[in-house]
Amino acid sequence: MIELLFLLFGIFIMFFGALGLLRFPDVYTRLHATAKCDTGGAISILLALALASDFPITGKLKFLVIAFMIAMINPMVSHAIARAAYKSGIKPKAVVDMYAWDNP
Amino acid sequence: MHFYLRQRLEEVRKRVLYESYEAQKLPAWERIVITWMALFAFWIVISGKFSPSHMITGALVTLIVAVVTRDFLTDDIRQTGHLISKAAYIFLFLIPQYLFIMAFRLLESNLKVVKNVLFMDINPGIVKVKSNLHSNTGLTVLANSITLTPGTLTLDVTKKLGEAYLYVHWIDVETLDGEKAGMKIKGEIEEWLKKIFW
Repeated sequence: MIELLFLLFGIFIMFFGALGLLRFPDVYTRLHATAKCDTGGAISILLALALASDFPITGKLKFLVIAFMIAMINPMVSHAIARAAYKSGIKPKAVVDMYAWDNP
Repeated sequence: MHFYLRQRLEEVRKRVLYESYEAQKLPAWERIVITWMALFAFWIVISGKFSPSHMITGALVTLIVAVVTRDFLTDDIRQTGHLISKAAYIFLFLIPQYLFIMAFRLLESNLKVVKNVLFMDINPGIVKVKSNLHSNTGLTVLANSITLTPGTLTLDVTKKLGEAYLYVHWIDVETLDGEKAGMKIKGEIEEWLKKIFW
């Protein structure tokens, strides 16, 4: 029962992450949607798989290792994409831009 | 002007003394033991077998790898206390506490993104935040944690004169004041990280 709840929550979060990728105005706000929703949705789905599968306990722990790797790597990748986008000259639609003040 | 320069020089000298004290490395065998414990836990989870031959092979192989790579994982750990109490404190108390905090922050940030997608009430901006951490590993973990907390995404890190600054893209800018923005963005995670990294 609880694994169905985790699975539905993961699908819900992934759906709204994809919707945010389509609706937000520029690169940086779109990265907000993808970084957080992909991490949370993937971890939730992996927890549901670990609870639902009939592996022994070490097999279930491997799902948690994958979840930990995703939680470490996904913010790093989004940070790299945001920095590369800024360096290649895409201006953010923002009310204040302190990064442009210090790197003219 | 003269007084100001002298005062500034005193500050920089104190800063250098502090950092050179904090940046002292742990003794070599403590570095090896901490790396070995982390690698051996990973071996047990990945192999999944508890027979003596597997355990002895794993212990030997991870010990060799720990001797070779002892500088990579433990380079920035703050040196306080005895080895066993420190290792037990890190592995049994601090890391589960961090995972617990981050799980709930991640849940909150997901729900906040759902709210932002539905109502489009965004007001984005890039703010500059000062960090009290100075080591590379500590800044990396802090930037990753900021990316996973609600409404913020780290763009870049600069270190000038021993002071580290983070550029954070904030989806709903509430304040431009540096200290208030730092309080809102970093929260309790930085104080938590200062217990491990310098």
